Amino acid sequence: MKSFGRTVLAVLLAGAAVFAWALPASLRAAPVEYNVAGLADYSGPYADVMPLISDGRKAVFTWWNKEVGAKLGVQLNFKEFDTRYDTAQTASLWPGVLADLKPIMIMGLGGPDVAALRQRLPDDKVPLLMSTAAYGFAWQPETWFFNPRPTYAHEAVAFAEWYRGQKGAKTLKVAVISSEASPAYIDIAKGIEKYASMNPTVEVVETVYTAVQPTDLSSQIRRVVRKGAEALLIQTNTAVVVASKRGLEAAGQGGIPLMMSSHNGLAASGKALGGLEQLEGSFEVYGIASPADTSGSAYKFYEMLRNDFGVKAPWNILAIQGTEQALYSVRAVEQAVKKVGAANLTGSAVREGLYAGKIPSEATFGFLPDLTFTREGPFPVRGLTANITTVKGGKYTLAAANVPVPVVEKW
Amino acid sequence: MTDFLIYLIEGALIGQVYALIAMGFVVIYRASKVFNFAQGELVVLGGYLVWWMVLGSGLPAWVGIPLAFALAALTGIVIERIFFSRLVGESLFSMVMVTVGLLVLLRGVFLVIWGAHVRPFPMIVPMRPLILGELFISRSLLIGGAVTVVAAVGLSWFFNRTTAGLRMTAVAEDHQIAMSLGISVKRSVAFAWMLGAVLSTVGAIVFLNGKSLSFLASDIGFAALPVAMLAGLESIGGLILAGLVVGIAQGMAAAYLDPLLGGGVSTVLPFVVMILILFFRPNGLFGWKLIERV
Repeated sequence: MKSFGRTVLAVLLAGAAVFAWALPASLRAAPVEYNVAGLADYSGPYADVMPLISDGRKAVFTWWNKEVGAKLGVQLNFKEFDTRYDTAQTASLWPGVLADLKPIMIMGLGGPDVAALRQRLPDDKVPLLMSTAAYGFAWQPETWFFNPRPTYAHEAVAFAEWYRGQKGAKTLKVAVISSEASPAYIDIAKGIEKYASMNPTVEVVETVYTAVQPTDLSSQIRRVVRKGAEALLIQTNTAVVVASKRGLEAAGQGGIPLMMSSHNGLAASGKALGGLEQLEGSFEVYGIASPADTSGSAYKFYEMLRNDFGVKAPWNILAIQGTEQALYSVRAVEQAVKKVGAANLTGSAVREGLYAGKIPSEATFGFLPDLTFTREGPFPVRGLTANITTVKGGKYTLAAANVPVPVVEKW
Repeated sequence: MTDFLIYLIEGALIGQVYALIAMGFVVIYRASKVFNFAQGELVVLGGYLVWWMVLGSGLPAWVGIPLAFALAALTGIVIERIFFSRLVGESLFSMVMVTVGLLVLLRGVFLVIWGAHVRPFPMIVPMRPLILGELFISRSLLIGGAVTVVAAVGLSWFFNRTTAGLRMTAVAEDHQIAMSLGISVKRSVAFAWMLGAVLSTVGAIVFLNGKSLSFLASDIGFAALPVAMLAGLESIGGLILAGLVVGIAQGMAAAYLDPLLGGGVSTVLPFVVMILILFFRPNGLFGWKLIERV
C-alpha cells in the first residue's frame, strides 16, 4: 500500500514536471509589464490619418508581445493620448501621463511633440521615438528624441539630386512652397536653402510662404515658374499641394512636377484634387518603405499583421509610418533587454538600447533602411536612403528605391 | 509693370474674397450686436454642405447649390433657436462667449459627421485664367469679386432702405428698446443668423472653388477679420474698400516684401494695418459713431 502511494506521488510529480515544461513560456513566468505612451491626434490637423498610423503601431506591439516579448519576459502595454498635434496640449498632458503611466518610451507624432517635450525629457528620462523625418532645429547631440529618418530637407534634396540626374542636368532649379504656420515648415525650407547654397547642383529660385489653406497661389506660382523652377518642393500639407497644382494649371504649366512628403503624399493629395491621375508625373519622397512596393518583405509582414493581428488600415504610407515607428522601438527594447535584463527596463535603458548597435533593415522587415543611431544627432546621420514614388500612367508606382541621401550641413 | 498690375488686380480680388467672408461677421453684428467668433466655422459648414450636395450626393450643381443654401439657412435658424433665443436682453458678452463655444462645438460636429479627411471641393466656377494681353486674371476670383460687390450693394439696400433691415438695425442698437417698439428681437436675430450662414456658404464657394476642403479651412474667418475691423463692424459697403486695402497690401507684400525678407510679411501685414487703423479710428473706417445723450 505504501509503495502504491509512492508510485502515485512519483507519477503526479512527473506529470507536473512534463506539464510545466510543455507550458508556453508566457505562462511559465509572468512577463514584466511596461507601459508605452502614444501621442496621437484625433481632433487636430492629422485627425484624418491618425487611425491609420495608430493601427500600425498597435498591431506591432500586439505582435511583438506574442512573438518576441513572451520569450524575453517583457510585455509592452501601449496607450494613446490625444494631443491634437498641439504643442501646448502635449506640454500640459505629459506630466499627467508620466505620473500615471510611467512609460519607458513615447511614440511621438510630429514636431509639436518634440517642441513640447525636448527640454524636459532628459530630466524625465523617457525617450521620445518618432516616425517622421527629423527637424533641423532639433539636430543636436545627446537628444532624448529620435527619428528613424533624416530631416525633411535631407529627403527633399535626395529627391532633387535624383531628379537632376534623371534630367541629366548640371543644376536643378526648384521652388519651395512653405508656410509659416509651423516652425517645422520654416525649418524644412531653411534646410533646403542651406543645401542649395553649398551645392551648385540645386538652386532654390524662391521660397514661397503661404497660409495652410491658401486663397490663391496663382501669382506666386507664375512668378517661380518664370524664374525657371523645374519642380515645386511641398512638404507642408495637402491643401497647399492642391492650391499649388491649381496655380500651375492656371499658369499653363501643369507638367511641372510637385514633390511631396509622407504626410501630404500622392494618395492624400490626389484624393483632395479629385483623382490620383491629376498628379501624373509628380513625386513623393521619404526614407521608409514605399506603399507602391507590394512584393517586398515589408508588405509581407504587413499582410501578416492584417491576417493575424487585426490590422484594418490598408497598405499605405500612414500605416507604414505607424508600423516602422513601433518596429524600431521594439528593436530598441530588445537591445535594452540584452543589456539590462527584462526586469530592469527603464527609459534610459531603452535610449541606450538605441545606441547599442545597428538595427539592420531586416530587423524592421525592410520598413526602414539600416539604422545606426549615434550621439551626434537624433537621427542616423550617415548611410540613410530614401524611396521615391510617382504616378505613372495614372498608377502609383515606385520610381526609385534606396536613393542615397546627400550630406546636408547643419543650418 | 505687367507684374505690378497682376499683383494689384489679384490682391484686390483676394481682398474681395475676404470682404465676402467678412460680410457674415457684419450681417450678424449689425442685426444683433454679436461678434461671431465662429464665422470661419460657418464658412466650413457652407463648404461641407456644398460638397455634400454636389459631390457627396452627385446632384448637379444647379440643384445642389440652392439646396446647400437652404440647408445653411436652416442651420442658421437652428443655431439661433438653440443658443441665442434665450439670451435676448441678456448681456452681449454672454452672447459673444456663446459664439466661442459654437466655434468649438461646430468643429467637433464637422469631425463627427464628415471626419477630418481633406476632400476635393467642386469646381463651380471655371479655374482657367482670363488672359488680357499679358495680364492673367483668375476667372474664379473675378467672379467672386463681382459676387461680393452685388452682395454688398444688395445688403446695403436691405439694411438701409427696407423696413425689415431698419428693424434689424434697431435690434442691434438695444434689445430692450427694440422690444418696447414692438420689434421681434428673436425674429431679427434668427434672420441675421440665417443670412450669415447663407453668405458664408457663398463665401465658401468662392474661397474653395476647385481646391480642397477640410475643417481647417475655418482659418479664413480670421484672415477676413482685418477687413471687417477696418471697414467698421456695421458697414457693409465699407467692406469693399476695406477688402481692396487689405487685399492689395497683402498682394504687394507677397510680391515684393516676402521674397526680399524671406517670407511672412504678407500674412502679418493685414493685421498690422488693422491695428494701426484701430489706434486712430476705433470704429473702423465706416463704423457707426455712437452719440450718447445724457
